[in-house]
Amino acid sequence: MVGIVLISHSSGLAAGAAELVAQIAGAARVIPAGGTDDGRLGTSTDRIAAAITAADSGDGILLIPDLGSSVLSALSLLADLDPQHDGKQIRLADAPFIEGAVAAAVAASAGLDLATVAHAAEEARDARKL
Amino acid sequence: MPASFEPPQVARPEQATGAVERVVILPKHLHARPAGQITQAAARHRATTIELTAGDRRANARSVLAVMGLGAVIGTEVRVITAGPDADAVADEVVDILRSPENDQ
Repeated sequence: MVGIVLISHSSGLAAGAAELVAQIAGAARVIPAGGTDDGRLGTSTDRIAAAITAADSGDGILLIPDLGSSVLSALSLLADLDPQHDGKQIRLADAPFIEGAVAAAVAASAGLDLATVAHAAEEARDARKL
Repeated sequence: MPASFEPPQVARPEQATGAVERVVILPKHLHARPAGQITQAAARHRATTIELTAGDRRANARSVLAVMGLGAVIGTEVRVITAGPDADAVADEVVDILRSPENDQ
């Protein structure tokens, strides 16, 4: 199953988003990576790397950042990995955080592949709430 | 041709293309969890198209956010239209999710 990593400046936001997603797509493998190592607001490439490892079950991992340095930390982490991402299939989603996480987790929990899960997340940009 | 002694079937134009339509009066809001279940069902039956309508809104069941975006509250009449392989069984599966009274988050 495709794993999902939720990257946020806030550990509470990442954990809360993962909790919400689990209510909707309980079978999905959704790992929060929020905040800094010493519990402040910010992003940590070490936390993101650990979350990628936790989310990995061999079918690929989708990273969903909230904004700003979440995106930059994810990009710099991916740049530091070897060109094959240490043998893992990893994609960074250009998607709204909550809506993208829900759409991706529902797709992942149904066993869809990484490209389809990433597409589900990115389609969330166009979803109307009302 | 069906045997002449079978009960008469209601002729519906969509039957010509194998499409199936069901109507459900929602016993609960179409909130996030049933929307997720419907999209998971759509993912299990990828060759079958599933469309939901509520009033003048339509959603492809493949998009959980579009299903939530129907804004279908309790008491809304939701139409489920399926086409393709197992259209009948898939429609039943979606109707069961919509009718299920559980989970009210």
